[in-house]
Amino acid sequence: MTAALPELARRMRWVMLFLFLAFGGLVVRLWQLQVLRGDRYYDQTVDNVVHERLLPSIRGRILDRNNVPLADNRPAFNLYATPRAFSPSALGELRRLLGLSDEEVEKVRTRVEAGRKRAAGQPVLVLEDQPRERAARVEQERFRLPGLEVRHEPYRDYPQGAMAAHVLGYMSQMTAAEVERLEASGYRPDEQIGRYGLEAMWENYLRGKKGRERFAVDARGQRLDEATAAGLIKGDRIIEPVAGYSLVLTLDATLQKLAEKAVAIHPAAAVAVVEVKTGRVLALVSKPSFDPNVMTGHLTRAEEKFLNSDPRKPFIDKTLRATYPPGSTFKFVSTVAALEDGLAQEEEPVACTGSYERSGTTFRCTGSHGKLDLLAAIQRSCNIYFWTLAERVGIDRLAEVANQFGFGSRTGLGLNGDSPGRIPTRAWYEERTRFKIGYTINSATGQGDVDVTVMQVAMAYAALANGGTLFVPQLVDRVIKADGGTVIAYEPQVKQRLTTPPEVVDLWRRGMWKAVNEPGGTAFGHATSEIVPILGKTGTAQVKSRRQRKDEPEIKGWHPSTDHAWFAGWAPADEPEVAIVVLIEHGGSGGKVAGPVARTILEGWWTKVRAAPPAAGAAPASGGAP
Amino acid sequence: MSYLGGRGFELPTAQIGVSRWRRFRASVDWPLVLVVLAIAAIGLLNLYSATHGTRHAGKFDQQLRWMFVGGLAFVVATVLDYRALVRVAWLGLGAAVIALVIVDVAGHDAKGSERWITIGSLGGQPSELAKLAVILVLARLIQDTAGQRPSWQSLAPRLAALVLPVVLIAIQPDLGTASLVTLIMLSVGFLALRDLWPMVYTLFAMLLAVPLLWENMHDYQKGRVLAFLDPSADPTGMGWHTRQSIFAVGSGKVTGKGFQEGTQNQCDFLPEHWTDFPFSVWAEEWGFLGALVLLGLFGFLIVWILNVATSARDHAGAVVCVGVAAMTFWHVLVNVAMVLGMAPVVGVTLPFISYGGSSVLTFFLGMGLVASVSLRKHGY
Repeated sequence: MTAALPELARRMRWVMLFLFLAFGGLVVRLWQLQVLRGDRYYDQTVDNVVHERLLPSIRGRILDRNNVPLADNRPAFNLYATPRAFSPSALGELRRLLGLSDEEVEKVRTRVEAGRKRAAGQPVLVLEDQPRERAARVEQERFRLPGLEVRHEPYRDYPQGAMAAHVLGYMSQMTAAEVERLEASGYRPDEQIGRYGLEAMWENYLRGKKGRERFAVDARGQRLDEATAAGLIKGDRIIEPVAGYSLVLTLDATLQKLAEKAVAIHPAAAVAVVEVKTGRVLALVSKPSFDPNVMTGHLTRAEEKFLNSDPRKPFIDKTLRATYPPGSTFKFVSTVAALEDGLAQEEEPVACTGSYERSGTTFRCTGSHGKLDLLAAIQRSCNIYFWTLAERVGIDRLAEVANQFGFGSRTGLGLNGDSPGRIPTRAWYEERTRFKIGYTINSATGQGDVDVTVMQVAMAYAALANGGTLFVPQLVDRVIKADGGTVIAYEPQVKQRLTTPPEVVDLWRRGMWKAVNEPGGTAFGHATSEIVPILGKTGTAQVKSRRQRKDEPEIKGWHPSTDHAWFAGWAPADEPEVAIVVLIEHGGSGGKVAGPVARTILEGWWTKVRAAPPAAGAAPASGGAP
Repeated sequence: MSYLGGRGFELPTAQIGVSRWRRFRASVDWPLVLVVLAIAAIGLLNLYSATHGTRHAGKFDQQLRWMFVGGLAFVVATVLDYRALVRVAWLGLGAAVIALVIVDVAGHDAKGSERWITIGSLGGQPSELAKLAVILVLARLIQDTAGQRPSWQSLAPRLAALVLPVVLIAIQPDLGTASLVTLIMLSVGFLALRDLWPMVYTLFAMLLAVPLLWENMHDYQKGRVLAFLDPSADPTGMGWHTRQSIFAVGSGKVTGKGFQEGTQNQCDFLPEHWTDFPFSVWAEEWGFLGALVLLGLFGFLIVWILNVATSARDHAGAVVCVGVAAMTFWHVLVNVAMVLGMAPVVGVTLPFISYGGSSVLTFFLGMGLVASVSLRKHGY
């Protein structure tokens, strides 16, 4: 047989070689991909379709002492986007469908971009807590919104609104640095974290343990049906989450509400009400406040700017973080020091002329009180009497007593800063300048360089009321499981036991009784109550003059150069149960301004909180000091 | 001389008692038929696996119909004398050119390039069938010039006519098919011409033209080439196909994930996998071994066709076979290399495996031509 094309037959050897090389090349490549790297690519394709999603654990609740929920969870619609499948056009579509604001669009964009850098296949939270209509819209149009997903998840809710906001705190998205730090301990980048107050401090107890669900998706990030998923996923599909522990507080929601209402007319104030025999905090108010519901994922830039520019500093806890000169509420320190040292007598008269001259400086009293004894001095808050006592004991002795009562050191609550404040000593001044007797005089009346927190004053007055036990303030009564079982119950904690003799405390108490309940007393007619016997000491603390900044918004009724108004006391007078401290920031006169607030709160406590269950006739008929 | 060593057997032209049918049956190239059927069956199986239970399930039935039409075309092409077809080859090329012009002028736009004409409800890609016309014309040309040294003046118009469909395909633009037709022509030239030097010059000239071509390419075409050069640079963009295809193939490992178990194709990570990436589906589900079997079948098919070429009774038959072998070879090589990330993503189908009527029909017709040559090699 002769071939038609002899050239073809001749070249066939080369053709076969070429074919062999070409197919050999394909086979070698197949070998490389399937045999050598097969396992790696196999894992990659599993990653392609099997996604892991953490099931949120339900955050523990925060309850008041009667189990009224202060921080709770409610179902919410969260929008998640898978960066790989979520295109700019999908964002445009989303914006059009939901009518997103520029701010929201920007938020979605930055979160998607951050997610893309981390793991483009993992859905990231882009819009939290969306209204039902928006969620329904997205569900309806999900085929036009590739990579977008609505999840129904628990969301932090504060059913009482802004009530006790500084105590509770709020939640917010983690910063990039926090994500880096906390990812190892199981936090996901789009999770919220406790940001302030108890939410931050008790984060580890509240958050619980997340569960895990694995599911299969196709290339567009759409979930595949259960049957397909079951075939693709090996091992457990779902690990159930564990709910966080709940906190039962010592706080009383009724009293807290009452206290907040009592300071409603004042632009800035702080109130602390504590049980004198345990140090348990019943109410803790810091004003101005914020709504944790807004702070938790709904804070707009405008609101944030407004809150940050407020000269009253809403985010500084005025009971624990901010420090103030205590004014005349501090006079018990010089009294206790002088009586303990035998340098004063109850009956010893001192003449008040209205002014007091020491080393070339004239110190002015609140008025010209004439000749008065110690009780009358407390009643009318005569500065000159206490300056005299202070000069006898000296500044270091004042500081010693102040320290005993907890000033100058942290209360131990550990919340929101818990400032130690400052109690200056002679050495403290000598480090800075030349010591002058004027410093002692200033310290005696809680001015000059004395700085205290409202909580410190409350604990000190509680110690005076209970006869000498200084407690660590307590806010969390117990930690409970989701099913109600107790995990930890906290006992009252003593900070220190004081050595103040009972008769010294008794004398101070009699003075305070006069201040509130007898004519001429600084709080007479202001804190005097027909309902519950109250006693207390007022304070009108001068502030170091501060010029108002030009860019500060004007706040009506609040001026940074006006005195602080204080009232510190307890009720009932003879059988003290609660101590109260009211501070009206730049409020003016302690008796006139802070006194009525304290009275309102204590009367409310007596009738609405303590009286439930009502105890008829429990009120002692006489509050008169012996 | 048969390359594979098979000895031809002579049948008496008019033996008493032997019907024409029995003679025909004995002369039919059964190995060719069987290997084509095997590949087509794999193609259907693969398409079923990739589309069953999805919204693309209808594609299987459609492909089955095309396969049936293709089978008929194969029988018709086998029975028809290829010499008759070679005689009217210029007419066929003329028809192909007209169809291509229609596409260029009024074609229906798919993905930024016009490759389709619609006749009634049937859509078709004339560029696929144009390959066969080109092969037949090459056969005619070589037959006409056999044993003589034609002058350039006489050859030039015919060469120009051959280049015309390539240009028309290139401006659709379908660079994949255009280069494929070019490769077929070059292959035939290298295998069938007595003097190789003109082919060497041509190849050299074409390499010089590459930069010119690059300048005139569409952005999406440049993107594909660039993505091929670095597939990981833009994972969701151009390189996405290649990357996902490599993942699919590699994840099949040695024995594959099993029928309908390929997550890459079942979960839509390989877009349009039934046309351009069926080999990826196959390799994912049947592994290295399955891939070897399929490549082996293609290899056997190509070598068998070349074997028919060497035993063809005339120039025309030999060139037709070489052309069909080259067409099959380049389709397989380019498509599989693309799936394995060794070549840029171009729309070149895998014979009998890819979904699509034009491709199926073209390859069945091509094999029919080979069978026709094989049938007549002994003077039948």
